[in-house]
Formats: sequence, structure tokens, C-alpha cells
Amino acid sequence: MEKKDFEIKQGIKAHLIKTDLFKTNMISCLITVPLTHENVTKNALIVSMLRRGTANFHTQLDLSRELENLYGAAFECGIDKYGDNQILRFYADSIDDKFALTDEEILKNTIRILLDIICNPLLENGKFKEEYLKVEKENLSKIIKSKKDDKDLYAYETCISKMYGENGFGLYKYGYLEDLETINVDNLTEHYQNLIQNSKIDIFVSGDFDEETVKQAIINDENIQRLRPRIENYILNNEYTECKQTVENVNEIIEETDVTQGKLVIGMNVNSNVDKVQFKTLLYNVILGSGANSLLFQNVREKESLAYSIKSIYVKQKANIFIRAGIEIPNFEKAVNLIKEQLEIMKKGEFSDEDLASAKEFVKSGIAAIETEQDTGIIYYIGQEISKTNVSVDEYRKIMEEITREDIIEIANNIQINTIYFLKNET
Amino acid sequence: MQVIQNSKIQEKIYTEKLTNGLKVIIIPKKTQKKYIIWGVKYGSIDHKFMVDNREITVPDGIAHYMEHKLFEQENGTNSLDVLSSMGVDANAYTTNNHTAYLFEDNNGKFFEALDEFMNYVQNPYFTDENVEKERGIIEQEIMMYDDYPDWKVYMNAIKAMYHNNPINIDVAGTKETIAEITKDKLYDAYHAFYRPDNMAIVACGDFEPQEIISEIEKRMTLQNATQNVKRIYEEEPQEIVKSRMEAEMNISMPIFTLGYKDEIACENQIKKDLALDIIFNILIGDSSELYQSLYEQGLLQAEPTFIYENSETYSHILIQGQSEKYDEVIQKIEDKIEELKQKGIEDEVFERIKKKLYGEYVKSYNDVASLATTFIQNYFRNINPLDYFEEFKGLDKEYTMQILKQAFAKDKKVVSIVKSK
Repeated sequence: MEKKDFEIKQGIKAHLIKTDLFKTNMISCLITVPLTHENVTKNALIVSMLRRGTANFHTQLDLSRELENLYGAAFECGIDKYGDNQILRFYADSIDDKFALTDEEILKNTIRILLDIICNPLLENGKFKEEYLKVEKENLSKIIKSKKDDKDLYAYETCISKMYGENGFGLYKYGYLEDLETINVDNLTEHYQNLIQNSKIDIFVSGDFDEETVKQAIINDENIQRLRPRIENYILNNEYTECKQTVENVNEIIEETDVTQGKLVIGMNVNSNVDKVQFKTLLYNVILGSGANSLLFQNVREKESLAYSIKSIYVKQKANIFIRAGIEIPNFEKAVNLIKEQLEIMKKGEFSDEDLASAKEFVKSGIAAIETEQDTGIIYYIGQEISKTNVSVDEYRKIMEEITREDIIEIANNIQINTIYFLKNET
Repeated sequence: MQVIQNSKIQEKIYTEKLTNGLKVIIIPKKTQKKYIIWGVKYGSIDHKFMVDNREITVPDGIAHYMEHKLFEQENGTNSLDVLSSMGVDANAYTTNNHTAYLFEDNNGKFFEALDEFMNYVQNPYFTDENVEKERGIIEQEIMMYDDYPDWKVYMNAIKAMYHNNPINIDVAGTKETIAEITKDKLYDAYHAFYRPDNMAIVACGDFEPQEIISEIEKRMTLQNATQNVKRIYEEEPQEIVKSRMEAEMNISMPIFTLGYKDEIACENQIKKDLALDIIFNILIGDSSELYQSLYEQGLLQAEPTFIYENSETYSHILIQGQSEKYDEVIQKIEDKIEELKQKGIEDEVFERIKKKLYGEYVKSYNDVASLATTFIQNYFRNINPLDYFEEFKGLDKEYTMQILKQAFAKDKKVVSIVKSK
């Protein structure tokens, strides 16, 4: 695998990842902007408006059929939350030209369509189509309302918003119903023009292609040519920006809804900016709660049968660890106490050398996936781009090897519970 | 060893039958990954069987319970933990008709992990105590599924179709049935079904075929049982149980399933899979006029999911989606089915969808894990995935129309709805 980056214009970059392990070429195009209450709903809506049609392919039907003719090129778009940023993500993958049944330029055409979707929307009198907006507003309102359907996710999102409030990372990535009502074709079109001409844009292409051909295809694309240079405007999150205040009182919140199983989320802060803190915390988190060997899985699920699912997730952009568990409702206190015991075990360093070694193997396996899974590779390099870091896969492995038990204990002693959130049945 | 090559997609596949009768399929890939899956043709529907002249009925959910318990070792360790500590990604799953154990290696620990893997699958260690301990965990798993509306709407559709076939029970069983599971019952089921001639292994990734086959053979201790095992299934009428099931859950938008109970007999399974895939795409796929018009009207927000499940004892088609006006959507899909039956399929559409399916087929060779899993599933459906490309080339409109007319019979239709509370 080989990666080359080049700037197409100021604020617009292409990242070409050459690999011959896959049958497909994958393209991911991202627009990164700060998460704000004012814009979060509009941005979510823009993504759905763009996929409705372009000046060249007027309807979704035209687009779908065009993609099918490219051997079922897959197209997806979505909204991600990445620290305090919102990412508008557009993605396509198609089989490599060499597998075509006749002589066809699949990759070039896939790139062309993807850029057309992002940069060249169907406008009527210079504005988004009224009837499309009506449907998409209705759809987005349903997505926002459906937040409560997936109870695990709902509990997780609610815990985050309790910790951060209506700010940056605390916002719901799809936005808010009250803001949706105020959006019309005028203000949304204006917002879009501003977004497309002033935001950071990154285009990632991964596959077995001729670099120069792809580079030229992007540079010479009509839509890319119309974009102006811009100054990147987004929020950099790292260990220095995210070092937290000490928690005085743990915030404990219990909410009720219609569930059979209780959903527990514990949000914790990592208050440290020691050298390589993100790598050390990653390893800490694996020992604590990733996979079948972790303390949480072993002691809460296997030994006490208190949970079916239990895991911890490290959100490095915000220096938080979230423990998520599905537990029997009456076992709430018992489970919380047992989880706290595991945090103490980590602080005292009462985990074994095997625990540390196997956690390193677990992480190494994830590192390998950067090269052996096409989407994992792209996601890794997106993270590098947005956090302005440049750690190669080999360096990543080396850093992991060098982390010691003392490093983990130091991290453990700088981790504090911020919020305990429990979603239970109605009484 | 048999070798099959497809030069169009640049893949070679090797198959071998071991001396004890176990089938091994190797798909070498240029990647660092090594993935292996060991499937047993034993699932939740196999709850009644004859061993020689003894009839045995085991509690619902036992195949799944066994999957959990097989990791337990006599020396007190758990193989899932042992494998994880090597940094390999190990797992297992149970379906209606098979159980599978698997792991993926990215760190060069494959053969070390293979020792543990093949040891635990071949050496069950069930005790009263370790069987008891699992009950709480599985109860939690059952409760977790109870909160999934998608699972509810699916199970209700199945219950509306099947009178007797045990596909109408949850794979994990219920709190009551798993209470009856004991170590003796687990051993009974293990000895009846965990036999080489009832299993297959697929290895996909960085392998040299001859080497991996002899490494597997070397670690193989299972023998075919001398007893005669026969599965017992009660006769299943062709008719459905009832045409509609409704439930209520706390969800924002109702979920619907439109299902058709289908004929089990099928001459050419791959061809039928392909034809149904084409029919679904034409009917309500994202390039269909019906989907676009329902989307425009706000009646659907996403393309419905299409499920086709079949084995020797069941066969059905399900179309599952989400809509406020589910009855209107279902009616429109049904009307479209009738219209297609009358008017037939346009050439342009048929060829375009075929092209899409070919692309999906090529893509399926990207990921070692899903490729190996598909091979195992198909093996137990008596499908040889290597025939796919030939069948694909030969697939025509006439056959597709024949499947359309046969599989979507009005009197075999069921509807399952989960409404918002």
C-alpha cells in the first residue's frame, strides 16, 4: 500500500491510496465543518438534498440507473460526528475496470458522478427544488424522531448530550425539529453555496489505478474547476484541547421508557496530555472493555452473568471513554459497583502481563486492517487528515510495542467518571 | 484435491474431502488475513431426531446454547478468551439450520490459534455447573432481541406462515425452554450432529491450499459415529397459518413485512436465487419506479430489505420496510407484482439489473470473512457457489418470469406489522 496526497486547490485535497488487494475502487469525499447548533440541521438536510439529483441527472431514478450501468456502483452519503466537527460524507465504490464484461471506464465515471452529486445539484431558478425539499424535510424529521427506536444508541447519544449540552460534540448529528421548520429553499440554497465554496474538502481514492490518470481526472473535472480556493475552517481536537477539568460530582441520570432490558452508559474523562496519550488510552480501553478478554467482559458478563453486552469505547477526539452495557433492570447498582471495581483494578495495575500482551495483539490486528480492509484504510487516513497527524502504519505498530504497564496505570489514575446514565422501564 | 478456476474474476478455489468425510474448501487470497469457518449442519430447527431407534426431543434453543458452551474447556479456560488473547478475532453464531465457529488472524498467529480452535470444536466439556452459569447470559441475550422491532416483525411473519416447522421458534429459545437444558441433553445433541460428514470447513485468505489442508487433517480427531441419526420434522402444510399478525412497540415509525410462503422443491437453487434477486430489484429496488414514487410521496424513506430463506424444510420470501402507511405500501407492492406477472419484464431493465448483480458478485470476493461465510451457508443449502458465474450467464427472462409467477402466490401471502404504541 502506498499513499500520496496532493492539494488540488487551497483547502481541497486528494489522497490516493494505491493497493492491489481489492476488486473495487473506493472513493470517499468529505466536507468537514464545525458542529454548531445553527448549522447542524441544515447540513444534515443538504446531504439528503444532494442525493436527489444533479444538473446532469435530474432525478434519483436517473442516478440509480446510471450507477447500475456502472456494474452496480454503490453510492452512499451520510452525516458523521467527529469530535466537534460535522462531516458530510459521500461515498462510492465500483468494480475495477479490469473486471468489466466489455471495455469500460468504470472508475473515471464513478468519480465524475460522485463529484456531480456534491458540486452540481439540480437547481430551479438558482434554488433547490421546492418539492424535493418538502419530502427531504419530512424524511429528516422522521430520522430525528426515530432516535428513540434504537434504545442502545439512544442511551449513548443522551449520555453524550448530558455531558456536553447543546454544544459541538453534544449536538445530535441529524439536528433538531425546531430548526428544521425554519429551513426553506432560499436559506438552504444560500447555506449550500457558502458551504461548497468555503469548507474543507477531501477526496480519498483507494484501489488499483494509475495515479496520474486519477489525479488528472480529478483536477480536470468540470465541477472541481468551478470551486474556489478556500481557507480550511474546522475545529482541531487533540489531547491539548481536550484536557478536562476535574469532576467534582458525578452526574447520575435515570430515565424511563418502554424497554425490557436496561441500558447503562457511563461517560468518563481522560485528564491527561502525557506523550502519546491517545495510544496509551487506546490500549487502556482495550484491557478495560474491548473484546472477550477485557475486564468488563470477563468480570461483569462471564463471572457474574450481569450483562449480555458490555463494552467500552474510546472517543479520542474528545478524550472520553464510554462504557455501554445492556443489563437486567434490578441489577443497576450491582453492575455499576462491579464496573467501578474494574476501574480500580486498572488504577492499581492489577491486570496481568498477559492482559497487556493480548491487548497489544488486539490493537495490532486492528492496525493490520488498515491495509487489508479498504474502508478501514480510508477511515484511518481521514482521521489523520482531520487531526493533522501523520503516523504511518509501521510507526503505529512501533508505538504500541513500546507502551508499558506503568504507562497504562498512569492513564488509569487520570480517568474519572463524569456521567452515569441509565435507561430503564416505566414504573 | 479439486481445483476450479474463474479467469474472469481471477480467482481459484480448491476443495477436498478428508478421510473422515469432512469437506474442506480453500479460497486463497493475496492478503495478510487468514480466515477460517467451521460449519455444522445443526441449527434451531433440529430439535427432534432419531438416534438408531431412540427418539430424542431437545429443548428449543439448545443449538445456540451449545454454541456458547463449546468454548468451555476442561482445564477451566474458555477458548474464546484464549483465542482473543492471541489477537485473533474469534466468534461463533447459530442460525435456523446451521451453527458456525470461526476466527480471523491478522498477526501471523494462525496455526497456533488453529490448535485451540480445532481442539475446542472437537472436545465438548459440559458440566452441571458451567451449563448453569450460561443461563443468565443467554436470558439477557433473549431479552435484548425482545427489544428489537425488526426481530419481532420477522418472527411474527414466520409464525404466520408455519404451523409446525420449528423455524417458527426463536433461535435462542425462550427463558422457559432454556431452563430445561442440561449437560446430558447437550451431549446427546453434540454426538448426534457434530460429525465430520455433517460439517464443512472453509478457509479464505493467505493460504497455500495443500499446506492448510494437511494442517487441518493433522488436527482432526472427530470420527463419524456408527449410530444412525435421522432428523424428524412434522409435516408442514402448504397453507399459511394466518394472513396477518400485528404487534405494538415503542417505535417512531411502523415496520411491515410482506411475506410469501414458497414451494420447497427447487431444481436449480443458484438460478432461483438470481431470479429472485432480479425480481426484487425490478419490483421495489432503488432504481424501480415504484420505490421512487413511494419515496416521493413520503411513504418510504429507504429501500425495503429483501430476504429469501430456504432449506429442505422451509422456503419463504420476505420484503421488509418501514412506513406510516404500511397497508398502502403493501397494496402497491402487491399490485406491482400482479402487473409484472401480466406485462412481463423489459429487456433494458433485465440487462441493467443483471449487470448490477455481476458487479455485486465480483465485489463479494473482496472480503474474506463474508466470502467464507457465504460459502458455508451455501454449502448447507447444497449450492456450489462456483457454478454461480455459469448460471449467471445463462439466466434469462423466461425463467425469471416463471419464478415470479410461482413464488408470489396470493394465497400464500402473509403480512406482519409492528405498530407504534
